[in-house]
Amino acid sequence: MVDVSKHELVPEHTILEDDDLEEVLSEYDIDRTDLPKIKRTDAALPDDAEIGDVIKIVRDSRTTDQAVVYRLVVE
Amino acid sequence: MQNSTPKDIGSINFGLMEPEEYREMSATKIITADTYDDDGFPIDMGLMDPRLGVIDPGLECKTCGKHSGSCNGHFGHIELAAPVIHVGFTKLIRRLLRGTCRECSKLLLTEDEREEFRDDITESRKLGRDLNDVTKAAIRQARKKDRCPHCGEIQYDIDHEKPTTYYEVQQVLTSEYSQRIAGAMQGDEEAGIDRTSPDELAEKTEIELSRINEILSGSFRPREDQRKAIEKALDIDLTEEDTNKLMPSDIRDWFENIPDEDIEVLGIDSDRSRPEWMILTVLPVPPVTARPSITLDNGQRSEDDLTHKLVDIIRINQRFMENREAGAPQLIIEDLWELLQYHVTTFMDNEISGTPPARHRSGRPLKTLSQRLKGKEGRFRGSLSGKRVNFSARTVISPDPTLSLNEVGVPDRVASEMTQTMNVTERNVEEARRYVSNGPEAHPGANYVRRPDGRRLKVTEKNCEQLAEKVDAGWEVNRHLVDGDIVIFNRQPSLHRMSIMAHEVVVMPYKTFRLNTVVCPPYNADFDGDEMNMHALQNEEARAEARVLMRVQEQILSPRFGENIIGAIQDHISGMYLLTHNNPRFNETQALDLLRATRIDELPEPSGIDDEDDPFWTGYDVFSELLPDDLNLEFTGTVGEDVVVENGQLIEGTIAEDEVGEFGGEIVDRITKEYGNTRSRIFINEVSTLAMRAIMHFGFSIGIDDETIPGEAQNRIDETIDDAYDRVQELIEAYERNELESLPGRTIDETLEMKIMQTLSRARDNAGNIADEHFTNENPAVVMAESGARGSMLNLTQMAGCVGQQAVRGERINRGYEDRTLSHYEPNDLSAEAHGFVENSYTSGLTPREFFFHAMGGREGLVDTAVRTSKSGYLQRRLINALSELETQYDGTVRDTSDTIVQFEFGEDGTSPVKVSSGDENNVDVEEIAGRVLDSEFDSESDRADFLGIDREVTNLSEHADDRLTEHTEVPSDD
Repeated sequence: MVDVSKHELVPEHTILEDDDLEEVLSEYDIDRTDLPKIKRTDAALPDDAEIGDVIKIVRDSRTTDQAVVYRLVVE
Repeated sequence: MQNSTPKDIGSINFGLMEPEEYREMSATKIITADTYDDDGFPIDMGLMDPRLGVIDPGLECKTCGKHSGSCNGHFGHIELAAPVIHVGFTKLIRRLLRGTCRECSKLLLTEDEREEFRDDITESRKLGRDLNDVTKAAIRQARKKDRCPHCGEIQYDIDHEKPTTYYEVQQVLTSEYSQRIAGAMQGDEEAGIDRTSPDELAEKTEIELSRINEILSGSFRPREDQRKAIEKALDIDLTEEDTNKLMPSDIRDWFENIPDEDIEVLGIDSDRSRPEWMILTVLPVPPVTARPSITLDNGQRSEDDLTHKLVDIIRINQRFMENREAGAPQLIIEDLWELLQYHVTTFMDNEISGTPPARHRSGRPLKTLSQRLKGKEGRFRGSLSGKRVNFSARTVISPDPTLSLNEVGVPDRVASEMTQTMNVTERNVEEARRYVSNGPEAHPGANYVRRPDGRRLKVTEKNCEQLAEKVDAGWEVNRHLVDGDIVIFNRQPSLHRMSIMAHEVVVMPYKTFRLNTVVCPPYNADFDGDEMNMHALQNEEARAEARVLMRVQEQILSPRFGENIIGAIQDHISGMYLLTHNNPRFNETQALDLLRATRIDELPEPSGIDDEDDPFWTGYDVFSELLPDDLNLEFTGTVGEDVVVENGQLIEGTIAEDEVGEFGGEIVDRITKEYGNTRSRIFINEVSTLAMRAIMHFGFSIGIDDETIPGEAQNRIDETIDDAYDRVQELIEAYERNELESLPGRTIDETLEMKIMQTLSRARDNAGNIADEHFTNENPAVVMAESGARGSMLNLTQMAGCVGQQAVRGERINRGYEDRTLSHYEPNDLSAEAHGFVENSYTSGLTPREFFFHAMGGREGLVDTAVRTSKSGYLQRRLINALSELETQYDGTVRDTSDTIVQFEFGEDGTSPVKVSSGDENNVDVEEIAGRVLDSEFDSESDRADFLGIDREVTNLSEHADDRLTEHTEVPSDD
């Protein structure tokens, strides 16, 4: 089986630690349900991601070097 | 005037209304269907009862005491003789009937299942998902139950006959059960089924023989378990469907018993809404202000459609009550009940499929409640989101190259109808008096004045002189539009923000709006009859905003691709090409004439001295006069050669589309980004005027002779095409001999088609090349194609060489008759001419058959564009509706109205495409430039700090105020 997360076009997905999560949520002044969503079944997710986790996605960007996006894992 | 303070809306709840609430808010009960008595007074407790509000001016409202205009009207109510179903909720009613028990009204789910769905709902709510998905799943699961898990009652199917009838469908024993059993016992020899004797049947079904005989004789109806046993033994069906109509009153009783906890699982808020309220027992009567009657010229009153409908409802309601009291038979009662249901249904929605719409006496369908709200002309799209505006004008547009791109020519009759409000002060009182004394007819005049006490007076020819003397500080004067006023200009469809831009007024004679041709691309306008709208701004804030943000020059760069959308077009580009291609020479008079419409009034040093000792100026030098002095550029231009600009001098290259054109002309783009919008506007204006002068200097026209080629060339083209025909023939023969080798992934047939297409398109290209050889570079069609002004070399090929293969759906033309395209050809003729190859050119003329094929190809193109525009228009509407509420917040995130994040940083990089440099090579290093400038400007750090402290920006003013900028040759950057 191909592991999609290893593909060069798939950006890095990491589970956000609780401390960092608090920081992100307070930075944007939001609840975690206000975050964009990602399905648990998404092949790009790390294996140990569970529903309710927040994923940090770091993309390469043409204009800024890196674009960071957070997503909440849903079922 | 009391209670007119603005109020904050805390929240809005949507839910069902309780009948008792209808009664409470009702100003009166309505019992009679009559409206006015013989004297023309409204009848008490009639449909026009004065307690429902007033519409006639001068009368006082009996409920609130206000007069017409300030009284909003009050609801009344009708007590319905029997409950009826509300059409708006038929789907929900059906769902509830299917999901709850017919006996105990509880949800047909076990406690555990119910709790599970309840949790799902809370989660969905939190995640902002569609609740319907959960409730639908709950109903689906409940429907699967045959018996109620609470009381054990058998559940039947619910049939819904649209719009408002519900049936319970039960499977009952058919009345012909004995015949069916007897028939099955006979057996069927052909199908190999043996006869069954009553003994055997008794044995199989374990029913006593005597019972079986009784059943067979029809004197005993088998019980359910017996029926099933017989059905199984004989493999027959003894049931038939029995439908049992559910009356609205039955449904109401059923719903009343549904427990609150069960409704919540179905997404209904039990605090606010009870399902039984979906069955109406009281009908609210809208206030008369919502259904005003009109008095016709002949004094007759004409009632609103809603009133007509209410009359019907009341009449039937009364007949129903009378009949019921008189003890009429059930059949008649049911008929009347259905009629009442029909009237109440059509009162709310008169466009239900399956029900004939209620009609007016004239045969026109009535416009009832839902028709008032629905659709393009409905309350939402027509009255609330789309509104008509004052201070607007619409007329045909026409071009005027003498205007600046910021300006719009406004007909004088429009200018003297649309006004601007002048607040008269000591400083402008003279000016204001001058306007007023001109009266409303003479152009810079005034139409109205407002005295300090608030009275508005119309300025007329008669009173204007007197009025002008009275005008003083504190008055307001509504003066005509004059040159330099700012207005908003728009062309539909408004697909991007450049469809609405602010222009400065130039008042002109005649009846059309005039605009500079360079603003055609952003509006997507042409002058074949296009009309545009103009809006005059009515307060200083709006005018300032329009001037700073919306003026055309502020929109030169498109946010779509970050390059200029405004630039030279069509003849401007041909003109620039003629001026700079091969760098022609001009004498002093000619050079001055070229530059006369620009702000250059002195020629530079001559470029050289010619053989007759006269000075001359080259096209490069004339063009360079328009460039900023310190512009440096180097890139590959339209024609394919390098374009080099050094210190504001064009050194090398031809100026054409990629240099100064719309949609990313390199020089325009660069000037806009480095020298600001004002400089760019000046440049574009001057390029277009210079180009017009240049094209007039050289002269530019095109005629049929420009596309005619000598006979010798025609012969060569004919040869080429004959050659191609031969090769096609060879291909066909090879195919028929089965010698053609198929290309990978293609069938033999496809291969043949592809090879023929290839051969023919090569033939057309060759014909084009032959034709091209006979066109010089001065040929106008070549100039236009080369410079990118209009047309392509392909167009030229088709005009002079050969039109080529016509295609429908990307293939040679294959349709028409059986096995052939036209009856002129043999069936299965594979040749080029039989499948739409046009060997003639547009100048030589097409044969009738070629013309027909050409029309087929042309029609497809036409249909395609029509379909594409309508499809993309709808797609655009959907997309914009979906994205319209997204907003970039101050923290840089993009969020929707419920504050959920869509992008963490606008566009993932937080930059505006307009502010980003377009090419990778010439990245603008802002900090480096700023540092360099500051370093060279100031000797010491303290000087710099002093200066930066009082940093004044160039204010973005009217073009009329730009004079102080244009006086100097160079214009300071404004960003």
